[in-house]
Amino acid sequence: MLPTAASCQGKAEEHTTLSLISERDAIVRGRQLWIGIRFDLQDGWHTYWTNPGDSGEPPRIEWQLPTGFQVSDIQWPHPERLALASLADYGYEDQVLLMAAVRPPERLKEGESTKITAQVHYLVCHDVCIPGQKHLELSLSVQTSAAFSPARPLFDAARQKLPRTMPRNWKISAISAGDEFVVNLKADKLVKPVQFFPLHSEQIENAAPQVATAVPGGLRLHLKKSEHLRRPIARLEGVIVLASGKAYKVRIPVAQPRNAHTQSKN
Amino acid sequence: MTHNPWWNLVAVFVLISSGYAVKVGDSAPDFQAMDSNGQVHKLSQYHGKFVVLEWHNNGCPYTQKHYESGNMQHLQKEWTNKGVVWLTVISSAPGEQGYVTAQQENDYVSKMKASPTAALLDPRGDVGKLYSAKTTPHMFVVNPAGVLIYDGAIDSKATTEQADISTAKNYVSQALEDSMAGRPVSTPTSRPYGCSVKYAH
Repeated sequence: MLPTAASCQGKAEEHTTLSLISERDAIVRGRQLWIGIRFDLQDGWHTYWTNPGDSGEPPRIEWQLPTGFQVSDIQWPHPERLALASLADYGYEDQVLLMAAVRPPERLKEGESTKITAQVHYLVCHDVCIPGQKHLELSLSVQTSAAFSPARPLFDAARQKLPRTMPRNWKISAISAGDEFVVNLKADKLVKPVQFFPLHSEQIENAAPQVATAVPGGLRLHLKKSEHLRRPIARLEGVIVLASGKAYKVRIPVAQPRNAHTQSKN
Repeated sequence: MTHNPWWNLVAVFVLISSGYAVKVGDSAPDFQAMDSNGQVHKLSQYHGKFVVLEWHNNGCPYTQKHYESGNMQHLQKEWTNKGVVWLTVISSAPGEQGYVTAQQENDYVSKMKASPTAALLDPRGDVGKLYSAKTTPHMFVVNPAGVLIYDGAIDSKATTEQADISTAKNYVSQALEDSMAGRPVSTPTSRPYGCSVKYAH
């Protein structure tokens, strides 16, 4: 048997600690409860956003809840751009909380203990990558009211990093121009972007620099098209993070250049 | 085996300057690289045959998924038996994960019972960068006319779990089957998945 990365580099758990935490200390029938998987990553190690970028893989969570309970999709905090030699990944260093909302049923017996389990499949990388799996459990009892748990500040901190809806009076659009998309954002005040993170792979070139210029009433952002983009796209979806640290969910309609329309009619 | 000393000096010589972006539908850029047996291979010498390029790093868990399950070896055997040229390319820089000497690679190939046509050593990353190889594995397929017909992942399930292989759609086999049957390739590109290629920093 050849030595494998796992045997040389140790196990994924040596580089990250995972825990399943709850924002409140009890379950109340019918009332939404936030839970989450927290990653505490060793210095220099990272895990991934829902679109991992050029390499890597996002964490995958298999929930098991008692009958009648529902759980939402993961609410992904905005990622950081992790630049490698000639590639760029999207992920998290240091720590991240992947939140999900649980909806308990209306009928529950008071005092009953409830077990929520999560099987987490994840990848942690430094220069090298190690896949890991972790089984996590959380037991909460059903009560008529629930107080905040000691983990509450972690949930508040994570909410700060969740992309929010863009202000209604802002306008965002893009044009497809040669090998790039030019995004125009009209805002009610001066905004400075940090980064656009695409939700879908193979739309923009992750490693290409994103050039932003301030224009009257907003900003302009140049994104290089992915080499894998084979046909015009109707919209770019993703998250835009501004210098203020605020992140916004964006769905950017993409206009095709006029000559492309002419060509397609011929 | 005869050794031309000149080739030993030039482990990898890229014929077309970098900055050229590889695109499915375009000519696959030519390159020249030495294999683990000291033989030099040029892509253009395989004109008239299908060529598969497989980016490789034996320490990467995604590469291990496909070798420890025997999937990659099975593909190599199946397609080389049908006349396809299979070139494994190792672009890890010295000191980085997956970097191997010629001897180490030969030991690996025999231990894993792999059967690529050749394993090309690309420690400077010239071939990797020419093709913008991003991950291990990252797969490319070139048709007999020298045109790139596939660029992307090995299959449709981007995980490290061997159990996913049997239910995944293998894009390399699909591209070869489509093309050999005279059909357009149904999935000509996909997002490659795996570890980042360990180029020099």
